[in-house]
Amino acid sequence: MIETTASPFPQLRLRPWLGIVATALSLLAMWMGLVWAPTDAVQGDVYRVIYVHVPTAWLAYLAFVVVFLASIGWLWSRRPWFDALAVASAEIGVLFTGLFIVAGSIWAKPTWGVWWTWDPRLVTTAVMFVMYVGYLLLRGLSTDFERRATRAAVVGVIAVVDIPIVHLSVLWMNSVHQLPTVARIGAGPALDASMGLTLGVSVLAFTFVYVALLVERIDIERHRQARVLETRR
Amino acid sequence: MSAPQRALLIAARELFAERAHPDGLAAALTFTGMLVLLESLAFGPGRAREPDVASGVFWIAILFAAMLMTQRSFDRELEDDAIDAVIALPGGRDALFAGKAFALGLLMVIVGVAGGALSIFLLDLEIALPGHLAFVVLLGLVALAPVIVVNNVVALRVRARVAVVPILSFPMLVPQLIAASQGSAAALAGDAAVALSWGALLAAFAFVYAVLGLTIVPAAIE
Repeated sequence: MIETTASPFPQLRLRPWLGIVATALSLLAMWMGLVWAPTDAVQGDVYRVIYVHVPTAWLAYLAFVVVFLASIGWLWSRRPWFDALAVASAEIGVLFTGLFIVAGSIWAKPTWGVWWTWDPRLVTTAVMFVMYVGYLLLRGLSTDFERRATRAAVVGVIAVVDIPIVHLSVLWMNSVHQLPTVARIGAGPALDASMGLTLGVSVLAFTFVYVALLVERIDIERHRQARVLETRR
Repeated sequence: MSAPQRALLIAARELFAERAHPDGLAAALTFTGMLVLLESLAFGPGRAREPDVASGVFWIAILFAAMLMTQRSFDRELEDDAIDAVIALPGGRDALFAGKAFALGLLMVIVGVAGGALSIFLLDLEIALPGHLAFVVLLGLVALAPVIVVNNVVALRVRARVAVVPILSFPMLVPQLIAASQGSAAALAGDAAVALSWGALLAAFAFVYAVLGLTIVPAAIE
């Protein structure tokens, strides 16, 4: 029986600052990506999409790993806070996976000549997107709070298997997509230092945006959970 | 009674139920046969015989057939509330996933052999490596079962289960579908190394999802 929707972790008083830091870092990343970072010798300015494409890819992975961890947390402890974390992260993950695909498509047109091609990386990413849309759909079809959380948690645990498949698909199968640029196994990033720094700042900015959105969404979900518990009493 | 014995009991119960009312198996066999027949019409007899096309269509048919059969199996459980009795038994919760997945795997072997034989006969397929093909097909069938059973259990009492299970299962089964299609095509074309590597990937997927299913399904059954 659920009695509290309180967080199992100590509350940090950073919430008001998260949005400010995320905005500041986003502005800095925008300036670095559009002005400070040098033009690529081969692709010209088109390559600058990387400063959106890679961070959104990172956030897609991060969000779904958080869904996985939160799902385990719910199945383990049955604390509603973990379910709130899972749904918040899944919604943001779907948003950023959509942006990841759109940014990749914008980059693909001038470099590959097409908006979309049946490439393993693209297909596995689209599959990941559909998988988490299915996760949210499953949540939407369940009315009982505990059943919904448990069903979603099982899917959240199983679906995480797709993340390494998406990342490693370019190594496993013939792909027109370039090999990993930053997270390379047994090697450093294949990027100019200034481009690498800009990418690092972009990733950090997007991560703060994710955390800021996550905190707000968890708060909304916990209010919803509290209302559900209140009507039960 | 030990856990494997309980799982075997559930599997035996499933197989007896299917023998008494083989509507799931009949639907799966009919569906697979229909798709093999339609394949040569859709692609033309020449293209339908190509290893890539023949194996791809075969595995799509198997995927849908497995979905049909599993949904029928759980429908049967829900119609007479039999699943509540299974869950209420000591250890029933744990045995349900393993028993269902094992029974589905066995039934899919029947569908796979029948569908494969029909493909070979109707499309006049030349098989360069029959042993490798059997190995890949067997592993492919085994790799499908855990994912489909897990998703059926998760969506057991969801009102749109017929739609939700494929929506959840198909994306999760894409890697298995690719591995099974590519491995079968390689075995048909005579590339032993490629067939074995895809077979190994299928075995890895079967293992990962079986372990995940055994670990989390007992907590998910309502």
